[in-house]
Formats: sequence, C-alpha cells, structure tokens
Amino acid sequence: MTLLANSGWRIERRASRSSLALISALLAAGTGAILCCSLLFVAAGADPIAAFAALAKGSLGSVRAIADTLVRATPLILTGLATALAFRARLWNIGAEGQVFAGAMFAFWCQSAIGAAPAYIQIPVIVLGGLCGGALFGGLAGLLKARFQVDEVIATVMLNYIIAYVLSLLLQQGPWTEPGGFFEQTAIVPDEAKLPILIEKTRLHLGFVLALVLAAILHVVLHRSPLGYEIRAAGSNLRALQFQGVNAGRLVLVVFVLSGAVAGLAGAFELYGVQHRLKSGTLGGLGYTGIIIAILGQLSPRGVVIAALLFGALLNGSTLMQIKTGVPSALIYAIEAIILMFFLIAWAASRFRLRRLRHVD
Amino acid sequence: MTARLSIRNLSKRFGPVVANDRVSLDVRPGELHCLLGENGAGKSTLSSCLYGLYQPDEGQIIIDGEERRFRSPADAIRAGIGMVHQHFVLVPTFTALENIVVGTGSGWRLDTRAARRQVTELCERHGLRLDLDALIEDLSVGAQQWVEIVKALYLGARVLILDEPTAVLTPQESERLFTLMRRMTDDGLSIILISHKMNEVMQSDRVTVLRRGRVVGTIETRSTTRGQLAQMMIGRQLNPIEVESRGGRWSAVVTISGLSVRDTRGVPVLQDLSLELREGEVLGLAGVAGNGQRELFEAIAGVRRIEAGEIRLDGEAIANLAAAEIARRGVGHIPEDRLRDGLVPDFSIAENMVLGQHWRAPWRRGVLLDGTCVGEHATRSISEFSIVTTGPCEPVRRLSGGNAQKVILARELAKATRCLLCNQPTRGLDIGVIEYVHGQILRKRDEGVAVLLASEELDDLILLSDRIAVIFRGRIMGVLPRCAANIALLGQMMAGTPLEQVA
Repeated sequence: MTLLANSGWRIERRASRSSLALISALLAAGTGAILCCSLLFVAAGADPIAAFAALAKGSLGSVRAIADTLVRATPLILTGLATALAFRARLWNIGAEGQVFAGAMFAFWCQSAIGAAPAYIQIPVIVLGGLCGGALFGGLAGLLKARFQVDEVIATVMLNYIIAYVLSLLLQQGPWTEPGGFFEQTAIVPDEAKLPILIEKTRLHLGFVLALVLAAILHVVLHRSPLGYEIRAAGSNLRALQFQGVNAGRLVLVVFVLSGAVAGLAGAFELYGVQHRLKSGTLGGLGYTGIIIAILGQLSPRGVVIAALLFGALLNGSTLMQIKTGVPSALIYAIEAIILMFFLIAWAASRFRLRRLRHVD
Repeated sequence: MTARLSIRNLSKRFGPVVANDRVSLDVRPGELHCLLGENGAGKSTLSSCLYGLYQPDEGQIIIDGEERRFRSPADAIRAGIGMVHQHFVLVPTFTALENIVVGTGSGWRLDTRAARRQVTELCERHGLRLDLDALIEDLSVGAQQWVEIVKALYLGARVLILDEPTAVLTPQESERLFTLMRRMTDDGLSIILISHKMNEVMQSDRVTVLRRGRVVGTIETRSTTRGQLAQMMIGRQLNPIEVESRGGRWSAVVTISGLSVRDTRGVPVLQDLSLELREGEVLGLAGVAGNGQRELFEAIAGVRRIEAGEIRLDGEAIANLAAAEIARRGVGHIPEDRLRDGLVPDFSIAENMVLGQHWRAPWRRGVLLDGTCVGEHATRSISEFSIVTTGPCEPVRRLSGGNAQKVILARELAKATRCLLCNQPTRGLDIGVIEYVHGQILRKRDEGVAVLLASEELDDLILLSDRIAVIFRGRIMGVLPRCAANIALLGQMMAGTPLEQVA
C-alpha cells in the first residue's frame, strides 16, 4: 500500500558532473535542434533535407565557401570573446554592439588622419585604432559602473544606441559622407589600408588569424595570469576578493576596457577586411550575436571559437539555402536562437538526473 | 506511555549522500527531547522531514498512533507539528499579533478580536509577557523568538521543534527560554530541541544522539554525563585543551582609540570605541550577535571605512589603509561569514590559498601565475592542516565547513605575523575541528601574535582569552581579566550594563 502510494520518479541534482550525461544531453540537443529546424523548413515550404544540404554546401562546399565561413566567423569570435571576458567577471557587458561601432569609427578616424602611407604603417594603426576605440567606449560604461554604480546593462544598452546614431549623423551629410554619394557610407578606403588577403581569390583576411591569436592569448590570460585569476574570482565571489584588498572598482574598469578593446577590433576588421568602407547598416547585430556565442561557448575562449565557427557557417550557408530552396535566409536567426535554447537546456539538464523512488517499510 | 511522535526507520538521501539512515525515535507527551549531533549528522534533515520541508525516501512518521505523510509544512502544521527556525520568519513591519495570526484566516475574513483573545490566553497560560501590538522590528531578539513560539502554539502545535534556539540569545534570555520550555512541557507539549551546547542538552529529559545520519542511541539525560554524550556524538574521546594563564610581554600591538563607524545606511554601529590588543595575548570579544563585532573586525582589517578615531599597528596609523596593505603588515583576518567573505567557492584549494597575494612573488613569475608553486604550497598546507580533500585542485565549494575553515586558517595564519583577527572562527564547526582551530589560535598567541577573538560560545571565550571585552551596541561595556570573568557577569554586560554599574 505504502509502496504503491509513494513509488515514483524524482528529479535530483547530481552531486558531481558526469561527462556521459553531458555528451548524451548535447547529442539530444543537437537532434532536437535539427528536428525543430526541419519543422521550420517544412513550414517555409521546403524539403528539410534539401535545405540542410544547401546549408552545408553553401558553408563548407568549396574552398571559397569555407573561406567565407571563416570571414563571417571572424567578428563573431571577437565579440564572443569580448562578452565572455566580461561575463566571466559577472559584469553584464551588453555593449559589445556599440564597442564594435566605436572600434570601427576610431580606426577609421586614425587611418584617415595619417593619410597616404604604406601598408606596414596603415595596418598597425588600424588594429590599434580598433582596440583603442572599443576600449574607450567600453571604459566609459566601466567608469559609470565603477564610479557611480550605474547598472552596466542599462549603461551599455543605451550607449549602443548613442554610438549607432552618432555614426549615422557623421555619415548622413556629415564630415565622413562619401563625396557626391547619396548613401550613409564613406568612400572606399585606399588599397594599402585593406587587410591582407590570406588565400587568393577568397575574402579570407588577416583578421581571422589575429582573432584566433587573440583567443589563445585570452585563454592564457584568463587561466594563468593574476588578472585572469581576479576576473574569475570576481565572477565567483567578489566580496572575498575585496576582503583581500582588491580594488573592485579598478577591476571593473579594467575588464570593461579589455572587453571593449576586443569588441572594437571586430569593428575595425569588418571595416578594413570585408566592407572596405564605413557603412551604418553592416556593423549592426555583431555584438548581440556575440552574447549568444559567448553563452554557447560556455564563456571559454575555446568554446567561443567553436560556436563562432558554427554560426559563421550558418550565416554563410543561408544564402545558398535561399537560392536553392526558397527558405528566406533571415530564418537563420531563428535557427541560431533554436540552437541556443536547445543547448542551454542540455547544459542545465545534464546537472540533474531522474531517480526511481522506493519505499520500504 | 504511548509516544506522541514516533519515527520509524526514516531514511533520506541526497544523491549518494545518506543524510538520515534508518532513524527511529520516540518523543513522549510532555517531554523535552534533545537531538544532539555534529554538523552533518542529520539533525536538520530529520527536522525538515518532520516539518514537511523534505519528503523522506523511506520510513514512517507516526503521530498519536496514526501514520502521517507530509507533502508540505501545511500538512505538518495540520498534524500538530510546529517549528521555530534558527532564523526567524517574521514580517518586521507587522505587529506581534499580526505575525501570529497571519495565514490563519479563512476566506477574506480575519477575526482579530477572537484571535487576540486566544493568543492572550495562550500567553497567560505559559506565563509569557508579550506586547501583542508592538512591531516585530521594535522587539528584542528574545521577544521575537517568543512570537515564533506563540505562533506555533496558536497553530495548534503538540510537538514543537526548536532549531538551535539559543544561538542568538544572551545567557539570561536563554535561561528564560528554558523556564518557558519547562512550563510548556509540564502543560503536555512535546519539545524537540536541536542543540550542540552541552549545558542546554543536560537540561532535557532524554537525548537522542545522531552520528553520520544514524541514531547512536537514546538515553535518559539523568543517567548520563557530558563526557559520555560527547563521546557518543564524535565517536571518540575528546582531549580537553589545557590553557595556562599567561603573563609577561604585555606591549601593545594594535591600539584602537575613539573608533566610530557607520553602516551603509548611515547608522552608527561603532561609537567612540577604544581597545588595545597586546603581544602574545588573546583578547576575547563577547557580545550578542549584531552589536558591532563584525564592523570592528572589518575596520581593523581595512575592509570597512572608519569615520573617526585611530587604529595603530606597532605605533603606525593604519586606519583606512587598503586591506591589502594592512595584510602585508602582518594582520590576518578570519571573517565571520567564511563562505561569503573568505573564500571563492568555485576556485580550487590552491587558488584560494593565494587569494589576495596573487600578484606577489613567489606566486607570480613574470606575467603569469606559477601554477606549480601555488600547487606545491597548497599540498604542503593540506598536510600541515590535515585538510580532508581529494587534492589541491578540488573546488572549496565541495569542502565541508570545517575543511573550508582550515583553508582560510592556512592562508590567514601565514599572514598574521603581528595580529590575528578571528570573528566566530568555530561557528558551525564540529567539536573535533573546533578543538583544532583553538589549538592553532593558541599556537599563534604563543608566537607572540596579538589575537582578537569573538565567539558566541562564552565557555570557549573564557577558556581561551587572557582578557575579555564586552561589546554592546557598538560600545565597549568593559574589559575583564579572565580570572574575573563568569557567564553571569558577562551576560549582564552583554545586555548593556557597563562594568562599573555591575560591580
């Protein structure tokens, strides 16, 4: 009687993480995401298998396709790293979006200021300009947080709007408008200022390699340096760090400056590696996608690179998918969100287990 | 005599951890039954099962001969079980009466007049003088506890569970609580008292000792001794530490004069406080929790800004210096809330051991941390302080309270070359570890370090301290040499009577 009334299943938190549970949960998440996306494709009136095939061919089908995938992944690696760095310290920097703009704008300003110069001068100036622009803009949010306790989420989101419209202002009949042009864009940058192409007849530029190098550097900084130690400690228990005399305000500022610098680089690379001119529309969304990448990559530089490559492939393959099957390429954003949801569920679920209850009297 | 409450073979597991393993016990009507055990012995789990907060995996709970199953505390209350938690669950802006009757109305109506009559009657029966119209926030901690008890009685409790009820009380308040408990048991109420203070345990009718989730035994209190109970509780003989009285080297290490500190809301928490910590001496700090102890420790350690006054270490002013600088000058600080203030839970033991020193040699080589050096240091400390762990890489989050405290001890004792600040260093620890921590503090004292020690265990404080200062509402009520200190005297001072007026 008692046995009957009380047997059942119960969900319990696992005492320790199990890699078997994690792998099976991730596999289940992958399958779930694919099934869910298939439903979307069917709803859009396409054959899911053909759509996935086109997606794969468009992103990995040729050297050119692969190179383009890497190009699409480059800014996402950087914004993902920027976000991961801040989130590791429990600083919710939603401002990678605006810091991308700031990096591109500051790099453009520096590069235009030096005028005609050989590539070996222009390229370092662009890289430094991107880093500094992002650092300054990120530092502004950090300063507001450290000095005046302004909530960083509010500050960074608002700053995102401000910088986007400042750029618009500069481009719309402003000092940076292309002479004689109608669009919100600058003139094409000189050839010496374009980032070197790594593989001929593709668009794969130097920025991709630099992004990977930066990921490696950040990995070492996070896990082996005293600063990374502080960042990780702040993410776990800031109070204990303060009790040992660490200046929390300074740490907040440093993290925002670093995070902003990395995001700013994404802007400079997009401008000088891909677009070759500063336009208002093309930089939008990189920072917000970076948040998804950072979370999908579990806030680790390695994970960020993997997640950014996956998203780069999706973005790049979506064009061919649209041509071949008529599925609108904008659907790729829904797919991104579906992947994120399924993987978040998988990570959470792998920490629990089901247990059968028995009652013995 | 049939039991009021019987527990039969109750088991409760959390994953692989067995918190209660086939626990059986009987509580008789009108009995004061004590549950004794170290931390992690399963006392809290058992009481949570009784109160419907957890559902046991196996076993039965029988009340007055009838088996009951509690899905929630509401079921337990209906079955006549009341509980007073260690941390009260009262609404501070409600009156005592409102807190007692909250949640008992049916539908939209709350008949306060009838409730008042009933509550007044309850108070009178147990000889409680309680101002029912006072706001909870205006009541003393002791009175708040009475409100909790009356609330449980009003809800019809026949079995009352008290979880470490004296932790927040002065000795006098504790005494009153025990008088009250006696009146209630005489009235037929059964009380389950959870405690690890021996002098309280000895006032009960029977004691059930738990160790590692199992019942070691239930015995009549009259027929046992403290020593026997302690042995049952920890499973081995305890070696009482001998503290010899000390004299000599009495030069001041830390001098505090006219110290004033305000909390974040601007309320003064320390007022014109003066103290002297001397070389090779333990200065005990007695006081009811929340009278400024925490702020005093934090002010000396440099974690809290001081408003006025002076703190000197070896003659040099250190007030409002950065905490890192004060630590560098030889001050170690064992904070009150070890998990919140002392450790980074996600970090390994090794990483926690260098917390705050992570920029300095020998931990840093070039721009990077020297993982090998940090690891070796941790391995040494683990064996020196006999920390039970799988290794230096284990996150401290997984350590037991005692082992986590040893990590802090290892770090702070190394820093404390001049002064050691220990705020509640043994709170919530097992007897064996307490013994160890006390030994380490005395070792530091013997090395000539000035020690400031605050503890809620007055017996321990009297045992360890050379002098005892009593703090009340941010002021020092007086400083006594150990030979002059006794619990009654300290209790009066802790309640706010300055030494001159007591004597």
